[in-house]
Amino acid sequence: MTDRETSAAAERMSRRRARVLPILAFAFLTQQAAYFSGPGFGTGDRAVDHVRISAWLVMSVVLLVVLATGGGWIYGREVRRIANDEATRAHRDDAFRWGFIVTISAALISYVASMYEAASAQEAIHVIVTAGMLTALLRFAFLERRAMRDA
Amino acid sequence: MPERLANKLKERRAELSLTQAELAERVGVTRKTVNTVENGVFTPSALLALKMAEALGLKVEELFWIER
Repeated sequence: MTDRETSAAAERMSRRRARVLPILAFAFLTQQAAYFSGPGFGTGDRAVDHVRISAWLVMSVVLLVVLATGGGWIYGREVRRIANDEATRAHRDDAFRWGFIVTISAALISYVASMYEAASAQEAIHVIVTAGMLTALLRFAFLERRAMRDA
Repeated sequence: MPERLANKLKERRAELSLTQAELAERVGVTRKTVNTVENGVFTPSALLALKMAEALGLKVEELFWIER
């Protein structure tokens, strides 16, 4: 692959990632809605509940790894290096910072709310993870898309 | 007034008839990084600033300066 082809591939990967992240965030949010609208908030013992919770766990891990590494694993190392250049890393750091603040805030709010209405550990963790993950994903996508504007 | 890192990337690129994509390719970053540095949205590391200056045939202090 020539330098030009590598750069073009990195550009494509970067643009695709910025387009896909909000869609992933929406899919993740939809999954949460299904969890909370289910009987017993998805804590049931039916096979479908286990599948639903497992799917949520898998998606959470995948999204976390995408955020931490930048994704694009089908591309070569050089393409990923360029696509995860220093501006992208700075955007990711900022997204993680926002995600951290919202995660801790969600945890504190859940703690206070549990004094008034009992919530299971699973429900609280769902709310906390969803809030933190969505914030980080959307912040990263926003920064990436803003940087691409007029580029 | 806060300090900011000003630059003449755009002007120098125009002088050399280079696109953002071509400069990005020379320094090994994406076009959005060149764009954000050019617009003053992102402050590059010393390494990237040196690479950009080298790619544009200038000293780093000719390409970047502190605006107060």
